[in-house]
Amino acid sequence: MDHWRVDTARGPMTQYGSRRLMDDFVKQISAVGFEGLDMFDFQIFGLTHMFGSIEKYQEYLRDHGISKIVNLFRGIMYDPRVADPHVRDTHDGIVESTRRMLGMWQGLQIENLIVMPASLYPDTAPVTDDKIKAAAECWNRVGEVSAEFGVRTTGHHEFFCAIRTEEDILKFYEWTDPRYVSFFCDTAQHCIAGVDPVELYLKLHDRVSGFHFKDTREADTTRAYANRPDAELMAPQTARWFYEMGTEGGLVDFPRLMGALREHEFTGWITVEHDKANIGGDYAESTALSMWYAKHVLAEVYS
Amino acid sequence: MTGTARLGYAINQWKPNFDDFARTEQHVRALKVIAACGFTGVELRAGSGRWEPLGRPASIAANYGSAAAFTGLLRQLGIEAVCSWYFDPGEPIGEELSPGRSVLDSGDHKAISETVQPFAEFLAAAGGSRLVVRALPSAWQAGELSAAGVTTAAEGWNRVGAATADHGVRVSLHVDCLSAAADAATLGALLEATDPALVGLTIDTAELTLAGLDPVAVYRRHRDRVDHVHLKDTRYVDESGERLAPHAEAAMLQAGGARGVDRWFYECGTSGGLVDFPALLAELRADSYPGWLVFESEQTPNPASSVMLNGWYARQVLGC
Repeated sequence: MDHWRVDTARGPMTQYGSRRLMDDFVKQISAVGFEGLDMFDFQIFGLTHMFGSIEKYQEYLRDHGISKIVNLFRGIMYDPRVADPHVRDTHDGIVESTRRMLGMWQGLQIENLIVMPASLYPDTAPVTDDKIKAAAECWNRVGEVSAEFGVRTTGHHEFFCAIRTEEDILKFYEWTDPRYVSFFCDTAQHCIAGVDPVELYLKLHDRVSGFHFKDTREADTTRAYANRPDAELMAPQTARWFYEMGTEGGLVDFPRLMGALREHEFTGWITVEHDKANIGGDYAESTALSMWYAKHVLAEVYS
Repeated sequence: MTGTARLGYAINQWKPNFDDFARTEQHVRALKVIAACGFTGVELRAGSGRWEPLGRPASIAANYGSAAAFTGLLRQLGIEAVCSWYFDPGEPIGEELSPGRSVLDSGDHKAISETVQPFAEFLAAAGGSRLVVRALPSAWQAGELSAAGVTTAAEGWNRVGAATADHGVRVSLHVDCLSAAADAATLGALLEATDPALVGLTIDTAELTLAGLDPVAVYRRHRDRVDHVHLKDTRYVDESGERLAPHAEAAMLQAGGARGVDRWFYECGTSGGLVDFPALLAELRADSYPGWLVFESEQTPNPASSVMLNGWYARQVLGC
């Protein structure tokens, strides 16, 4: 995933700040052995300015050892007035904006369009079956559109997303069409929400289209998921929820998960993520530590 | 130092990225630094969304309980006022489902003047008196400005100024280095077309210098309109016109432009700095300037260090 920040003469900057910073980023992730890249959709406009087109950016990635952009994370800011999966009146807008976006960026050779399948928990609560069904209807339609572009729509359940408990997640996938909606397993997000990601994978393995492998050191014990206006950065419990794989005190049982992947012969992409590594850490170091863990611990289980 | 002028600090430097500086304990630490260095006012920057807790009055209320609770906290920490709030009408406002507005479009004037009302109300209650606004969009976006375009913008700011005047808050035109207003003739025409009773001018020393304008000369020409001051330094002048090129925000300001400039803005008194702060202060003193002197240090690698350096310069060199 493209979370990345480095200290510069003007303070912390992302790789999207300049071509020089992008060069450094791509060389570093390539150097440790990563082959693909996940990114947010809202970065594409900046990349288009930096490289001339998204196709040229992909060529640049290939030239530097990164074979493709694997997944695109759609950063919709849900708002019940215009775009919110549990508000049926907004579905047409979400579907059509997806069609426009994928049409505009057909040069992207992505596999998955990752979405948070519901709005923030506090903006949706109480979470009812009807609201989950509404979200399922929304993503079935979006998934049908994305399939026309050869892209799978896949649900990524942040711990603060309205569809966050195991019971509600399973309902959502029961009510979505397997042809159009897949499941994207983010290990740390589920752990924080009190859901065992391995058990969830075992239950939904035939729906899984990818992973974000990251760790956490603490589950949400304070109902942080309900914190207004934000849980990810502003909840009192902690300023940093996420860590790289192999972190001391990490809650995710990655070896057990890899055993489950081996059991079900998973052959897709696994994306490594260490969101917010800048908070008391360093993105470059987290990237290298993650790959060390993948090569020396996970590969022993399944590769 | 200049009669009744007071020293403030712009807090924007603590938020280099959209997801930085979202937690209240970070705000408290920043405010303590500002207070410790002798600044008694803080300038906020308008922003939208849940990760901009200081971006709008409603966001402050949501995060601090109420506007009064926030100003109470400021005073407890040693900050007397939110002296000013920076507002760029071109930026998206999610809360209003607005992708951004322009004073060059008369159809946007009503919405802009309504949007700023809560900011003015907040400032009035927090001891502030200036809504610092981006005078004109970036030059590459505005295109060649006609006299009619300048008139439209002036009408817009007059309307906004009238809306905030009810709260005792003046609109002050801020000219950044990319703005279409960073041109002596355009700025002169825009000021000429606006109502002096409603609309003033912010002198931003580094932005004007980078755009090739001498801030002291701009002050001398428009001294009757200057009602707010931003103090920061730069080592550069854009002599090749990069600031006028498409997407200068990314290509020049962010990426460093053709020269690969690491950092465009510095603390006052930086080695190689181009701004003549003593000359500007002499002019302000001569006029008994009664407003705020707001120090800035965006693009700093160390916000606290920059506040300390600016605090030393204000006291030891400028005699504030």
